[in-house]
Amino acid sequence: MEKIEDKELELLSHLIRRAGFGATRRELEDYGKYSYEEVVETLVSPKETNWMGDYLVRRFDGEASGMINAPGSARRWIYRMMSSDTPLKEKMTLFWHGIFATGVPKVINGRVLSDQIEMFRDHGLGRFDDLLLRLAKDPAMIVWLDNQENHKNSINENWGRELLELFSMGVGNYSEDDIKECAKAFTGWTIGNTEYMMVRSKRDSDWPYGRIAYHFKYLPDDHDDQTKEFLGHQGNFNGEDIIKVICNRETTAKFIARHLYHFFVADEVPVPSWNEVPPRDEQAIDELVKAYFDTDHNIAGMLSYLFNSDYFKSKNARYKKVKGPAEFAVGLLKLSREFEIPDRDMIPRYRQIGWMGQELNNPPSVEGWHEGQEWVNTGSLIERINFASELLGNQDNTGIKELIDTVEEVLDENSTPEEIVDECLTQMGFLRLSENSKTAVTDFANGVEEDREKISGVIRLIGSTQEFQMS
Amino acid sequence: MKPVQTIPLDYYLTLGIVAMEGRGFEYPSDSFVAENDRIYVTNKSRDYGERGVRVTILDMDSDYFGTFGHYGISEGQLISPAGITGDANGNLYVTDDYTSMVSQFDLEGNFIQRWGSNGSNKDEMQSPSGIAIGKDGLVYISDTKNHRVQIFTTAGDHVSAIGSQGNEEGQFNLPWGVDVGLNGNISVADWGNSRIQRFDSNGDHVETISSVQAGQNQLNHPSSVVVDSTGNQYIADWGNETVKVLNRSSELIQEIRGQATLSKWASAFLETNREEGLSRENANLNDLSSLEDTEDPHTVSAHIEKLFWSPVSVKLQKEDRLLVTESNRHRIQVYKVGVSN
Repeated sequence: MEKIEDKELELLSHLIRRAGFGATRRELEDYGKYSYEEVVETLVSPKETNWMGDYLVRRFDGEASGMINAPGSARRWIYRMMSSDTPLKEKMTLFWHGIFATGVPKVINGRVLSDQIEMFRDHGLGRFDDLLLRLAKDPAMIVWLDNQENHKNSINENWGRELLELFSMGVGNYSEDDIKECAKAFTGWTIGNTEYMMVRSKRDSDWPYGRIAYHFKYLPDDHDDQTKEFLGHQGNFNGEDIIKVICNRETTAKFIARHLYHFFVADEVPVPSWNEVPPRDEQAIDELVKAYFDTDHNIAGMLSYLFNSDYFKSKNARYKKVKGPAEFAVGLLKLSREFEIPDRDMIPRYRQIGWMGQELNNPPSVEGWHEGQEWVNTGSLIERINFASELLGNQDNTGIKELIDTVEEVLDENSTPEEIVDECLTQMGFLRLSENSKTAVTDFANGVEEDREKISGVIRLIGSTQEFQMS
Repeated sequence: MKPVQTIPLDYYLTLGIVAMEGRGFEYPSDSFVAENDRIYVTNKSRDYGERGVRVTILDMDSDYFGTFGHYGISEGQLISPAGITGDANGNLYVTDDYTSMVSQFDLEGNFIQRWGSNGSNKDEMQSPSGIAIGKDGLVYISDTKNHRVQIFTTAGDHVSAIGSQGNEEGQFNLPWGVDVGLNGNISVADWGNSRIQRFDSNGDHVETISSVQAGQNQLNHPSSVVVDSTGNQYIADWGNETVKVLNRSSELIQEIRGQATLSKWASAFLETNREEGLSRENANLNDLSSLEDTEDPHTVSAHIEKLFWSPVSVKLQKEDRLLVTESNRHRIQVYKVGVSN
């Protein structure tokens, strides 16, 4: 077999860190059997997904099956992220969860939140129009933004406002009248058994027999079927028509393009500032906008363009983004393989991710989380380092044991501390450290006698470096 | 002799209500009806629910007799109770799939002893779940993560084991429920292999059931099985969210999807909480119209409350009542079992 150049594997490592949750050398070599462009194509157009599977999760983590509350939903999602062989699908669920941020305080019901995540997984790489329409019908979103209270004779603007402001175009691209007309178009879009479900939700009631999943219901009698004027268009619009108008606008394409750039390429300023602060790479955004229209509003098409771009592949783009807490933790769970079968010990792991600043299914507001540097403060950094240290330092974890075995096989008794550190970095997925970080880890390796403990300690210490916090 | 005809299971009533402590269940994992006609229900609770982990005691009239075996690592406490059974001397045995121990209590819930340790050596277990006691007085336990059935004395002395990891006859993949019939045959819900395996009292493989109706209707990750004195088999077909009844020739007699109604405890709650009770009366909880695009039974059960949702255990009460414990609905559906000639 033709040897794959290390620099190709380094580029693949960068791709899989951003489009997934990282990969070991062994996994990268599997990817490396294909060209970079072919790997991108596989990531954006996955055929089938293999993961540990619903059955295992449901049997060994009851709340991840019954989902009375958000933690059960979140844990099921974490199991899926860390074991899926279609990592971009999972990364996109995180991406959309950050934008269409929906949380437990109002929705209450873990199963309903999980259904929304499932919808992001199934449709997050498809046409944006389709995704927005499903979002409009998504029971969690309906309850989160009160659309069950949006009636023909008494509109509630919450959904209409956020659809325009946070979910598609951004502030400054529509009028207050557009919001009202938009809200009118979505009157009658509600959930089944609204009264009973809302009474239960208000009381946080899981009585008598646990949560009941919500379902979308359209009530034609409660729909405003008068003529509406929206963004310069006039007609007897229903919700589908509004979404079509939104998705054909360049402002929407720009909004999505900037989000994709922000999530996958380089940290931008927080979304509320986008109206005042231009994108850091306007040309990249323009090209992504073009990809949006060239691919008929297809998210996978935009991502294919993005991952193949020079600005994404550039060495200057690497290790420049702070990993989000879920991304960081899932990467470690995947690498360490702490849970080959779901286990009760995932409960504290899930909580630790919350302490790092990202409680899945419970965003701080409808705006989601502010990403980038804001992920890191003194407290969250300590949590991150402790988390990495616990998982990477446990030689009982299958993934760690295999890593140490592999490093031992490659090296010999005459290997220097520098060679040990280099080999650990390589096996962990062609990682790179700054000179300062590398010196610190090498100094540690110098001070440990026993080989296996030395390798284990080096792997553990790499997890506490600044570079390991970055993608 | 005229063949025995089994009358299909007839819905009788529902027991339970979800409750984080005390009267009620939270993620129940198993049930056992003792000679005193009291029903003992193990609850795993959720997220280290310190008040929720318990064994709840009730009877078929929904009279409540308290709880025991609360959360903790000390003697008499449980972390994750997975299975329960009892012997003829009035002792209860509870497996804990977190500590890999078996705790013994009397029928009042007083702790007697515990035994077992975590590991894969011959007398150890990893995440024991289903548990049953045979006529021989021995304890049969699904040693789930070691993929075998372990046999102990009631004092915890190891006797023997059946099976190993795999999908050949006599092998297991994460076995769950276990039952020992009057003839000494051992039935095991071989969960990961989606089949029931039966062994004679010597541990020799007798039969494998993976489908019913001539290759149709595959079992899907069954969780529990119980065999009555006529040889009829009741299977909690967990992955299909159904209960199947097979005759002694392993032919399908009946398959039920569940038809829960309000238990006494549920009715009392809704009468007390009138706003919730009235809005429930106005709701259509059987509306399947929104679920046209899914046939996944787990999803359907999440929406339709009366259906089985995660049936984890089937147990018989004196052969005339079948108790189906549903983890995700925190209740037990009870069916009358009829036999006539």
